[in-house]
Amino acid sequence: VIDTAVMSGDELIEFAEGLARIASTGGGPKALAAHLAALLDSAVLVEDGEWRHVALTGAGGRSVPASSRDAIAAAGKDGDTPVVLETPGTGPSGIAVRIRGGDAAMGWLSVFPSTTSADGRVGAIRLTAAAIGVELSRDAGGGKNRRKSFWDRLIARAYDDPIEAKDDAAARGITLAAHYLAVAIEAEGLEESVATAKMGDLRRICLETLRSGSGDIAVLERGGGFVFLCPAPLEVDAANIRTAATLIPRTATKTHFGAKIVGGVGRAAEAVAAYRTVDEARESMFIARRLFGGSRVMPYDDLGIYPLLLRGGATSGELRSFSDRILAPLRAYDEKHQTELIRTLRLYFEVGQNVKTAAAELSVHRHTVFYRLRQIAEISGHDLDSAHDQLTLRTAMAIDALNPHER
Amino acid sequence: MLSTHTNGKPPNKREVLRLVKEHDVRYIRLSFVDILGISKNVMIPANELERALDGKVTFDGGSIDGFVRGEEADMMLLPDLSTFAVYPWTAGGHQEARLICNIATPDGEPFEGDPRTTLERALDDASDVLTGTSTALEVEFYLFDVDADGVPTTGSSDSGSYFDINESDRGETARMEIVTALESMGIQVASAHHEHGAGQHEIDVKEMGLLEAADALITIRTVAKHIAVRHGLHATFMPKPSEDLAGSGVHIYFTLPSVATEAAAELHDGELAEDTLFAIGGLLEHAPAFTAICNPTVNSYKRLVAAWDAPIYTVWSHRSANSLVRVPSPENGRSRIEVRSADPSCNPYLAMAVLVASLAHGQRGHVLPGDPLTGSTYDLNDRERERRRIRTLPKSLRQALLELDRDLVVRGALGDHIYHAFRDAKFAEYERYRRAVHPWERDAYLRVY
Repeated sequence: VIDTAVMSGDELIEFAEGLARIASTGGGPKALAAHLAALLDSAVLVEDGEWRHVALTGAGGRSVPASSRDAIAAAGKDGDTPVVLETPGTGPSGIAVRIRGGDAAMGWLSVFPSTTSADGRVGAIRLTAAAIGVELSRDAGGGKNRRKSFWDRLIARAYDDPIEAKDDAAARGITLAAHYLAVAIEAEGLEESVATAKMGDLRRICLETLRSGSGDIAVLERGGGFVFLCPAPLEVDAANIRTAATLIPRTATKTHFGAKIVGGVGRAAEAVAAYRTVDEARESMFIARRLFGGSRVMPYDDLGIYPLLLRGGATSGELRSFSDRILAPLRAYDEKHQTELIRTLRLYFEVGQNVKTAAAELSVHRHTVFYRLRQIAEISGHDLDSAHDQLTLRTAMAIDALNPHER
Repeated sequence: MLSTHTNGKPPNKREVLRLVKEHDVRYIRLSFVDILGISKNVMIPANELERALDGKVTFDGGSIDGFVRGEEADMMLLPDLSTFAVYPWTAGGHQEARLICNIATPDGEPFEGDPRTTLERALDDASDVLTGTSTALEVEFYLFDVDADGVPTTGSSDSGSYFDINESDRGETARMEIVTALESMGIQVASAHHEHGAGQHEIDVKEMGLLEAADALITIRTVAKHIAVRHGLHATFMPKPSEDLAGSGVHIYFTLPSVATEAAAELHDGELAEDTLFAIGGLLEHAPAFTAICNPTVNSYKRLVAAWDAPIYTVWSHRSANSLVRVPSPENGRSRIEVRSADPSCNPYLAMAVLVASLAHGQRGHVLPGDPLTGSTYDLNDRERERRRIRTLPKSLRQALLELDRDLVVRGALGDHIYHAFRDAKFAEYERYRRAVHPWERDAYLRVY
């Protein structure tokens, strides 16, 4: 049985003074946990919001069983009541309290008594959790890891609502930009003996190429590569990040990086929906690797229909949105200048890309068709000589035909 | 016709002396420009040439606007032998030639108030990124009629427009003679044609070095004015002679060095090399500040309006005729960047210096330019400009000078001496203009109020 008796006032004051001394000398979460472990003669575990170990100290330490995590999180959601840790088959093995940084949840502090008679002393445990919470939310010392933890949580969709994410970011000293653009990068064919050093080089090359001047770039390690979350407050910033990302393989070549680089760039997304641009960046990287070959970074916007094909189950809304996005510049141009670019493109495809036949159908000279095709390529940004771009345009036209555009 | 450059190599001192003798040159004009880009010269008889070539000819710099104070007045002229050219005309029956000079202090040190020296310094500063860059020019100007008293008008009996042919047109004949004269002086002309306005013409010169191109614009202005007079016309490089006529600009093309083979292999179809993108980024970033130098008169800002394809925003594109920077698709791995805002009233040495500094800053700082624009820049609304962080070019000389004040890269390219002298002269010019009562005001208000 775990004793959760309250300590005497003097004992508690003495313990709190010890915590303050440790904190004031920069002891950090590990030293604070050790102070508690010494008092309780127990193992003390500090975990962050994603159950990753921040500190483990004292005898008899262990992890919180994964099976208990949801229950602990649910039990602690509405307050700071200690949660009893149950180990299947052996009964209670410890207690856990929530660590707070301001109003934000920062993680959990768990105590595992080495003997069942150990004194739990809830007051001391809660004081320690509070001190660790202050440490974790401070933007000094281990701030980098805490910021990283925020981005990991954001990408993992760990925040229930945007306000919670913004508050947590603020508590961790992160000033969120309005929009972010993700760039996913991986190196292929690295020899194991040099992989660690090369990944360091890759990270440096990417950061130097992507530096935007609009704020700090968050770097997340994913699989065998990186995801860079770049602030993009304005459309021009997103355009420049896209361009810079496509330059990464060339920069790598110049610096004799020595391995193929493949990557993808998502579209700009609001900060609290950054997971979307990360998903798009990783999808784009996958498509670039599978379909385009070579050392290159592909922006999602340049991939046409492929992301929808990759997902394998686009809704009709997504299809229409895709079609509108591809055809909107041509449609706008037609409306503004009273031209027939969309009609020309449709006919051109319908007659098997035969300019002479298309000209006859449109009752114009074939030079006019050539001229219009050049206009279509320039305005839409799609090269009619590229098989990939043709597929995109043809699909967009087909979707448009099935779902007539409302005028 | 006379070509003074043999085998494409500039002549040495001995060859210049030989050419002078061979062509019976009686006088040599030692030519330089003041800070405002106005061509000046000291004429010497041919028998003084050897002394001049040794840099022993001085002039009173104190009498030139913005040069030096009285007590520092004596300046030395250092002829650049590569600029030797015999004029394809005679004056008073005597053959003349010219040499373009740098200016040095009495100690022989390069004079920091000399625009040509300033460009040389800017080119040297940018040599780490821009070596191998060449430039070409498209120069627009008007050939107007003169009245019975020989005073220039803004009228032309020529009613042609783009690329028109009118053999009876005096302007056509004069332009042909101007081109012939330029070729004889070593300037290779790529083409020449009638421009949009009645009496407006354009001469395009082939790629050359950046210093040569600045020299060429000075030569074009001198030659056009001289030959126009012989045809009873007046050549003007004023940016906007009339609100009803298209303005005259100078389109400056920069051809960047070829992309290395290894890097070229990484370029996908239609992609620009990163150095080209960075160069464009540098130009757009510094455009508001370099406008004061590239568009240096109060009249320049009558041209920079949303009409006749004049650029008004810091925008780049592949095709749009009214973007500030236009970049056609690269050919053989080489990109050409066209800067479309400058006008022919500029001091070409200073204009080239600030453009070079902007290009170099973009390349060194990896400045990206955003996406290129398709369509007309005039269609951009406030929201689109804000999203793309597009800035408006200054709308007056005063605004342009204030932008120049804020840009240390552009100011750095000019050097302190020229920056302060230019700024003071141009603020004074703007103030004179502001105080003057213009005919439009009298037309609009005299009867009404």
